[in-house]
Amino acid sequence: MHLTRRDLFATTAGAALAAAGTPALAQSRAETLRQVTGNAINTLDLTMPGSTRESFGLAMHTYDRLVAFGRKPVPGGFVFDHTNIRGELAESFTVSPDGLKITLKLRRNAKFHDGSPVTAADVKWSLDRHVTANSLAKSQLQISSYTSPDQFAVLDPMTIEVRLPKPDRRALMNLCVPYCIIINSTLAKKHATADDPWAQNWMKENTAGSGAYTVESFKPGEQVVLRRNDNWTQGVDGKLPYFRRIISQTVPEAATRANLIERGDADLSIDLLASDIPALQQRGRVKVFGTPIANGFTHIAMNTRMAPFDNVKVRQAIAAALPYEDMFQASIFGRGARLYGGDWTELPPTADFPIPMPQHTNLAKAKQLLTEAGFPNGFNTTFALSASQAAANEPVGALLKEALAKIGITVEIQKLPDAQFNTFQAEKRMPMFIDGATAWLPETDYYLKLYFTRDQRWNFSAFNNTEVNELTEAAQYELDQAKYAEMCRKMVGILGREVPEIFLWQPNHEAVMTPKIEGYTYQYYRQIDFRDLYRS
Amino acid sequence: MAVLRSIGRRLWQRLLASLPALFGVAVFTFLLMRVLPGDPAVFFASGPNAGQEEIEQIRREMGLDKPIPVQLVNYLADLAQGNLGRSMSTGQPVAADLERRLPASLELTLCALILALSLALPLGILAALRPNSLIDHGVRLLCTLGVCMPTFVSGLLLIFAFYYLLGWAPDPTGRLDVFVSTPPEVTGFLLVDAALVGDWEAWIAAASQLWLPAATMALFVLAPLARMTRASMLAVLTSDFIRTGEALGLSRRRVVLVYALRNALLPVITIMGIVFSTMLGANVLVEKVFSWPGVASYALDALLASDYAPVQGFVLLMAMIFVMVNLVIDVLYGLADPRVTVG
Repeated sequence: MHLTRRDLFATTAGAALAAAGTPALAQSRAETLRQVTGNAINTLDLTMPGSTRESFGLAMHTYDRLVAFGRKPVPGGFVFDHTNIRGELAESFTVSPDGLKITLKLRRNAKFHDGSPVTAADVKWSLDRHVTANSLAKSQLQISSYTSPDQFAVLDPMTIEVRLPKPDRRALMNLCVPYCIIINSTLAKKHATADDPWAQNWMKENTAGSGAYTVESFKPGEQVVLRRNDNWTQGVDGKLPYFRRIISQTVPEAATRANLIERGDADLSIDLLASDIPALQQRGRVKVFGTPIANGFTHIAMNTRMAPFDNVKVRQAIAAALPYEDMFQASIFGRGARLYGGDWTELPPTADFPIPMPQHTNLAKAKQLLTEAGFPNGFNTTFALSASQAAANEPVGALLKEALAKIGITVEIQKLPDAQFNTFQAEKRMPMFIDGATAWLPETDYYLKLYFTRDQRWNFSAFNNTEVNELTEAAQYELDQAKYAEMCRKMVGILGREVPEIFLWQPNHEAVMTPKIEGYTYQYYRQIDFRDLYRS
Repeated sequence: MAVLRSIGRRLWQRLLASLPALFGVAVFTFLLMRVLPGDPAVFFASGPNAGQEEIEQIRREMGLDKPIPVQLVNYLADLAQGNLGRSMSTGQPVAADLERRLPASLELTLCALILALSLALPLGILAALRPNSLIDHGVRLLCTLGVCMPTFVSGLLLIFAFYYLLGWAPDPTGRLDVFVSTPPEVTGFLLVDAALVGDWEAWIAAASQLWLPAATMALFVLAPLARMTRASMLAVLTSDFIRTGEALGLSRRRVVLVYALRNALLPVITIMGIVFSTMLGANVLVEKVFSWPGVASYALDALLASDYAPVQGFVLLMAMIFVMVNLVIDVLYGLADPRVTVG
């Protein structure tokens, strides 16, 4: 038997307390969840530019939104479901038949952490802040036609009406995203100044929410401790979360994180090395919940405005030359969903995206396409990857280099520090690179608009296709499901033909936990939802 | 009294003389960071939908929208007021971050150095007393092993053995077990703070977190300290005054520990200063492996993110510590050998 110092403390303390008749301490460890992560929370206000993804995860617990995505069961756990929206702070909501008004009734018993009731005035102030203040929420709300405070009206102290200039498919969904926090406006206004009317400076270090947890201690880059808000009624069926305390600790070394969970000292981690997961699973001391990142994709982008990738035949040739299955196994050990090998040609069978694209390994065809493109002897190019993703992406680079050499293309692999990679990516200075992408609202037209239109950062391949541009503009406002599906199929068909990016796979989101943790949900913002978890 | 006054004057002169060097370091680091090809604003504006507008906003916030000479002047003006800027990665002022993290690094480094010295001095002396004996070879082997194994390898091995397999060490996650309450902060050194309030549970918890990373670092610096002790002891032991002492019939112990060791210590002290300063900056791997919230891992994270302010602050801090350490070494020289005056 292993006897660690903590066991010793726990037993002696437990014995002492048991003697006094209160087994509280032993309980408190059972009701505490310890998460270990390689990353850090850098602000308590997730809408601040520069906030990390971990900060989004924190704010899901400290703040509530009006509405929230539901979840659906999958083997071993749950996955978010954006088609099933429930009220969070809203007790009920209705969308008018013409799609121009959303009326939301607030819960009567909802309270902020300081005990004051959540009112329509707070909701209005918060939404006004999101569309007015310079924050990340502003550009997020713009994607669903929210641009002005005039669109949010207080009908009575418990009812708010949201008005839209056009019926927008994303209007309700977008109120669920992490940024759309509802803030205690009375408290925040006390800390607002003339220069800072939205209390942005104060909210970086303080919270003013109504969420399931409050921040007990916040040491950026070290650890954050959350305490359950026992007055929280906004959960599914009004249920309180199981865990009273959450400790989220930064442990930079992935191997150490894996050790901690295997030894049972920590409960949960979602950022272990993909290469460690099979071994962990085999030893069987931990529970692994792996599910493909349903709202994302890993892809190889080619700059469609840079020679020779401005030639569609060159892009098609490369897509035909890659050894997809080898890459899938070498990069992520087959842990994910394939986005290649689709057996359709002109139009995809469904309106969904991402789906397997009609990309197949066929060297003869690749060679022929390259000859037709005017490069019978190939050319020289580069393939870039970011240092932080090197573990998964370097094998892809090596296999790509080897495969393209067979059709005469010489590839130099560039591994760049992340800041440099991101800069080159934003400035469209790399001919070809590998990266991942996710979307909070996994709607086909939204993916297309975000990643394949306009001169903006996320249009990785600098793609400019008139038909896609027009279709994305129209689809957003198309409430007729059949017509919308038709538009989506058309757009995905264009991606299959034009190959601005080569779609590879959806890697697994791997949550590794001690065997007794239950109820894990994969959330679209790729952080842990502690509210659903419990210890069996 | 006169000795103290001369030491004081010397310290003051040395501090003044180091100012231009510090200024140079500040300017050089500033320029070096700007030469790096990554744009921190793009890196930090990576939330969904973060577009050009967000990038521009972060650039403004970091003061990067102005030409570099203006940025430099602003930076120096801020420095003069003790403002090191704000870290984008932690969202905190850099000065506050460094203040919180420096004690962690110092505590670890000092403990590692004390541990290393307490091993290296006896080992070095033993090896020198019996050159080419079994002990000498054993010490040589230990030193070679310690120095040839990178700290992250030895660190991970020690964790694997003492935490994962044996369970003798607590989980390697920082300075204090998460379930032990932190003693009130006075000096920032947990061992000192816990002892001050008499919180022995916290003291034991802190010490048990500390010994494994300290041992990892000590193992790495054992070699220069032990080898230097051996070499300089060998040189001293063959000198005339030792022979005279032995001829006069002084005890072996007195000859070795008082006359020989004291004279042999000068080069060891020099090496110690260098070792300490290097350890403080270069223990980033140990800090990473043991999740130690120190300054070196902080600076590395900032460097990877092209987060300018923390890196500049860190380099400046290291430069200042180098100056201080060299001063302390000079004072120690004087104590070890009264004939030495370093001015």
